[in-house]
Amino acid sequence: MSKSLAIIFNKAPYGNQSGRELLDIALMAAAFDMEISALFIGDGVYQLLTNQQPDILHMKNHSSTYKALELYGIETVLVSSEDLEQRRLSESRLMPVSSLSNHKQINKTIAESDFVFML
Amino acid sequence: MKTLYILNNPQLFEQCTLAMGTQDALLLIEDAVVLSEQQSSDENHFVLEEDLIARGLNSGSSWNKKNYNEFVALTLEYNKSVSWL
Amino acid sequence: MATFSLLVTANPHSSQGQFSAIQFAKTLLHQGHVIKRVFFYADGVLVASRLNCPPSDEYNLTKTWAKLAITHDFELTACVTVAMKRGIINATEADRNALTGENIDPAFEISGLGQLTEAMLESDRLVTFG
Repeated sequence: MSKSLAIIFNKAPYGNQSGRELLDIALMAAAFDMEISALFIGDGVYQLLTNQQPDILHMKNHSSTYKALELYGIETVLVSSEDLEQRRLSESRLMPVSSLSNHKQINKTIAESDFVFML
Repeated sequence: MKTLYILNNPQLFEQCTLAMGTQDALLLIEDAVVLSEQQSSDENHFVLEEDLIARGLNSGSSWNKKNYNEFVALTLEYNKSVSWL
Repeated sequence: MATFSLLVTANPHSSQGQFSAIQFAKTLLHQGHVIKRVFFYADGVLVASRLNCPPSDEYNLTKTWAKLAITHDFELTACVTVAMKRGIINATEADRNALTGENIDPAFEISGLGQLTEAMLESDRLVTFG
């Protein structure tokens, strides 16, 4: 029976390595046939913005890896609509990789997963 | 799945408790133990006693205290733990 | 008796997480449970350097992990990608990258993230200290 892993992104990118290092865990666990959910809440929603250009600061752009999640079989990519709204962000500013969700659905995913990682 | 939430950052209290369900528990550790003097308690709310003692906060907290032995037991009593970082 | 694995991401020099993880590990071992593996990730890997040199009146986290792992026969594994970025290097990687020396404590090993996934799947509980 395959185990499930929820990965919660709750921090904005580039001020820390959290997003990038969580992505590496997601891709590795997917290779082990775990059922992965990527959940974006709080300032984690900023991870999904289009047009990120950290290269102007000589930092690696990990945002394109979010586009590869599906390729790795990670189909549950949920972003909190409440947290987007609170930050005055519209879905049109996000890369088309996530489904608009809500706290209730995200909490249910966390509750049902065998493992949950944050960083 | 009954989940033990482990919180060490007091700034993330609201976000963490928002994710919790009725059957889940919260354990405050490290810097988050200060919340046990600020927030009202609940029957599923615990605070790590050693981290309170370390900070001189042991007498002020009304929260249900758990020591490290009980911390280990909690992680086994609940189906999984989530360290909310 | 339960089998635990720990994921430690806390920076040993600037946060309490490594101390918490060691206390948790000691307590569970004392209760008769076992540890399969402690996996170090993110800034947690910094504890694997044998060159960590805290003042003599302070707790040496590297040596404490090493002693605990040897006594109770469990693995201390640092993630290779994040370890190398942070200058935690074993002899093989030093050789491969033409670096002048290795600095990993002999009780630790450097390996891939697959070791974390394996630890998750083969333990009853995984507890994270960040």
